[in-house]
Amino acid sequence: MNIGSRQSRRAESGDDMNETHEHSHVHEHPTHTHDGKPIQEDELPPLEAQILETSVRELLIEKGVITPDDIRRAIDERESRTPALGAKIVARAWDDAEFKGLLMSDADEALKDFGINMSPMELCVVENTEDVHNMVVCTLCSCYPRPVLGIPPAWYKRRDYRSRAVREPRAVLQEFGTVVPDQKQVRVHDSNADLRYLVLPQRPAGTEGWDQKKLARLVTRDSMIGVCDALAATEIAD
Amino acid sequence: MRGPQDYGGLPAGPVDPEKHEHDPTHWEKTVDAMMMLLFDQRRRLARVDESRRMQEALGEDYHKYPYYERWLQAISWLMLEKGVYTQEEFETKQAEVRTRLGAGEDGP
Repeated sequence: MNIGSRQSRRAESGDDMNETHEHSHVHEHPTHTHDGKPIQEDELPPLEAQILETSVRELLIEKGVITPDDIRRAIDERESRTPALGAKIVARAWDDAEFKGLLMSDADEALKDFGINMSPMELCVVENTEDVHNMVVCTLCSCYPRPVLGIPPAWYKRRDYRSRAVREPRAVLQEFGTVVPDQKQVRVHDSNADLRYLVLPQRPAGTEGWDQKKLARLVTRDSMIGVCDALAATEIAD
Repeated sequence: MRGPQDYGGLPAGPVDPEKHEHDPTHWEKTVDAMMMLLFDQRRRLARVDESRRMQEALGEDYHKYPYYERWLQAISWLMLEKGVYTQEEFETKQAEVRTRLGAGEDGP
């Protein structure tokens, strides 16, 4: 059961490979979502992959395992999870010491307020300080705190990051423009199926008295993966 | 012995934070949605570990498959292994879909 050899593959790949594009125009999917928005005309994968996806999806529907509506809802659910959610959590932790305490000791409990349920996974929040910089990787696949941050960025899933983050983290951080002083320890957390990590970046200087909404604007996705710091206070407009 | 997925610590190239980034296509979202539904607490038809086991069974082909095509392979094999559908049903369905989609591709 191999979907077979093919001449080209698309750029979105877990690995390094040729990146010529293959265009096929089979319109199997509906053209509108259930709330009437047009679905983007986007690139389809090779025909063999389309055949496999259609076959599996139709069999799962015929067997009563899922319905088309379940798929639409799952897509909506996924799209509702973005780094903005993580940013709200970080901003609250910066502003509310009691919440931060709970977040560090029992993240799953703390996140209930945000409607986030990590089950069956567990979330571990690691805090950046004057002495420690944390970064997160999944060397074996692409495990990521999806309920908090949405889907991982392309580089997180690819070989270069997965290979080198654990061997030469400071060099990798530099590729993101992040220079960690020598005296600061770098801790790399390798995620797995059951345990996901979220970095609590350091609160930037000059943000005293800011409300959580404004603080959240400083919190980027990459700062919660630990490849960057939060934005500086001067980097956002009032 | 290292499996095909076991990259940790191996030499590799520079990380380009922008390259390869794209908005997920509808097809990718659909594969993602199927996997999440099979993982969910109501169905419990798959676990992350099981999905990984299937992807790693691709062996050297692991490197050739784009990310969501690997997921799709994992789903198709896992559902077969768990008896959600039989090999015969799977092959019949694929032949039927191939005719249906292939007709659009190559003309009648």
